[in-house]
Amino acid sequence: MIEDTQLSTGAAAKNTARSAAPVETTNAGAGRWTNFTLQIVLILLGLFVSFPVLLAILTSFKVPTDIINYPPTLFPEVWTFESYITAWTSQPLARYFLNSVIQTGVIVFFQILFSILAAYAFSILEFPGRDLFFYLILGSLMVPFQLTFIPNFILVSELGWANTYAGLTVPFLASAFGVFMLRQFFLTLPKDLYEAAKIDGASSWTYLWKVVVPLSKGSISAFGIFAFLSAWNQYLWPLIITNEPEMRTLQIGIRFFLFDQERGADWGAIMAATVIALLPTLLIFLVAQRQLVKGIATTGLKG
Amino acid sequence: MENSSTVDGTQSFAREKRRRKFFASLEGYLYLAPTLIILTIFVFIPIVTSFQISLTRVAPFGGRSINVGFENYTRLFTSPEYRDTVRITLLFALYTVPTGIFFSVALAILLSYPLKRLSWLHRLLIFLPIVISTAVTGVLFRWIYHPVVGYLNYLLEFLPFIESGPNWLNDADVALISVSMAVVWRQLGFNTIIALAGIQNIDEVYYEAAKVDGASTYHRIRYIMLPLLTPTLFFLLIINVINSLQVFGEINILTRGSQATRTMLYSVYDRAFVGTPQVGQASAEAYLLFLLILALSIVQFRFLGSKVNY
Repeated sequence: MIEDTQLSTGAAAKNTARSAAPVETTNAGAGRWTNFTLQIVLILLGLFVSFPVLLAILTSFKVPTDIINYPPTLFPEVWTFESYITAWTSQPLARYFLNSVIQTGVIVFFQILFSILAAYAFSILEFPGRDLFFYLILGSLMVPFQLTFIPNFILVSELGWANTYAGLTVPFLASAFGVFMLRQFFLTLPKDLYEAAKIDGASSWTYLWKVVVPLSKGSISAFGIFAFLSAWNQYLWPLIITNEPEMRTLQIGIRFFLFDQERGADWGAIMAATVIALLPTLLIFLVAQRQLVKGIATTGLKG
Repeated sequence: MENSSTVDGTQSFAREKRRRKFFASLEGYLYLAPTLIILTIFVFIPIVTSFQISLTRVAPFGGRSINVGFENYTRLFTSPEYRDTVRITLLFALYTVPTGIFFSVALAILLSYPLKRLSWLHRLLIFLPIVISTAVTGVLFRWIYHPVVGYLNYLLEFLPFIESGPNWLNDADVALISVSMAVVWRQLGFNTIIALAGIQNIDEVYYEAAKVDGASTYHRIRYIMLPLLTPTLFFLLIINVINSLQVFGEINILTRGSQATRTMLYSVYDRAFVGTPQVGQASAEAYLLFLLILALSIVQFRFLGSKVNY
């Protein structure tokens, strides 16, 4: 479990046990019925919202004949791993998975490192033009990927980085969102701490790694989760920068797998591949739901 | 303290201070350097190069690019094809944005009730889409929309007046709506979180005052909650319009960018990377899209600025 973040007094921090609902639900009499109906309604809505994912998981465990039965059934008659074996062996899914792990790992590592350094400069160090640079970096959030992807594609291709891990990762090694998010937290650290460390003879480099980073583990891991999700889920860039199958990421892999398999209609294998692609994000969600929700509620951004 | 200040004894204190200030500044720049370099190469410079590319066209023979001025832009204003992508983009925003906001606010109202039990489970199930990628969304809905064994058409058959469901993805009349529903689903978790945060930020005092006045649930939602939620609703509106302009994965997987679902962004991709590349034309389209998104982003970040202290 990742530690709780202390981003700010965001609304989602108060998620639980607050009575600021449009309607008061009390424990007495009429309230109990409201509670009961609401439980049923919310569970049904929840199942409805998560239905596409649940369906994919259930379908991936069915035997092929079970899948194309009409009328469709929800639960597998026989539970089987067959589709996973088909998906894993009939295409280089393992390779896609490895590519995604490397691509995401590199992006997340460097985004965290570079964001820590920049956020530290913006919050604790002092130098001329500091605010100007901060607004410049913040401003980059307003430049959509839709504008930059064509020149970046040309540049990366000219560098000979098409179909390489460098091509997949280098354009994303810095994150303005990360700088912004970590700076917000670093600013909450007491200034006296820095002065005290200086008097004790610590350099600002030592102070960063021995004091600031350990104190900010919560924020850093919260940002790491966002960085992971957006890197793992990337679509447009890996689609254009890879055309050799062995360099595709999982997201691109399932797209080609879908188009290859659809004629043969092995939907079990397609669903198995999809479940493999969403499994890491699902696990992150189950473990770190609170951090994710809090991060979204306080910044209004998805990373 | 550093050990150099007393070496000379007579060394000017002011000079030492300047020296240290210089190194402290240098240190700051070094810490910034990686982020700044990456963003400069891959975000700031492309703002310019993208525009330069949009003024060129690749010559038919020899592949050299020639300068054509604003031709790529002026062509867009007269092209019925481009007008179509603009129309489809606006329609797409119209299908996704109000629906998305409506469902997320409704869910957030329900989730804001202080239930003692299982509220973690409700949140888990409803927030789930926040971690789902565009590619996965595309594949999941392709299965749900499957014309023969898909769940949607199976369920539709239970309705008395429907004989068989439409061909969700290949029928040009419904394809855009089908893609919209998938996108609304993917963004539901995010929107609901924002809406819920907004609702929970409303001071309880207002509800208590209304309670004293004997206002009904409907009145409390309609006349107290919604007006106080206006800033959140406005934020949702802006961010969802921006998101709707940036949808790509679902279109690429669900309809492969068929005519009926060719949005402005899809057209950029299609021109630049499919068939004979028309990079200049694509960049001109990308630039117009950029200006549109930029205008909306400025509004969005104003809002963010008022919400977060720098």
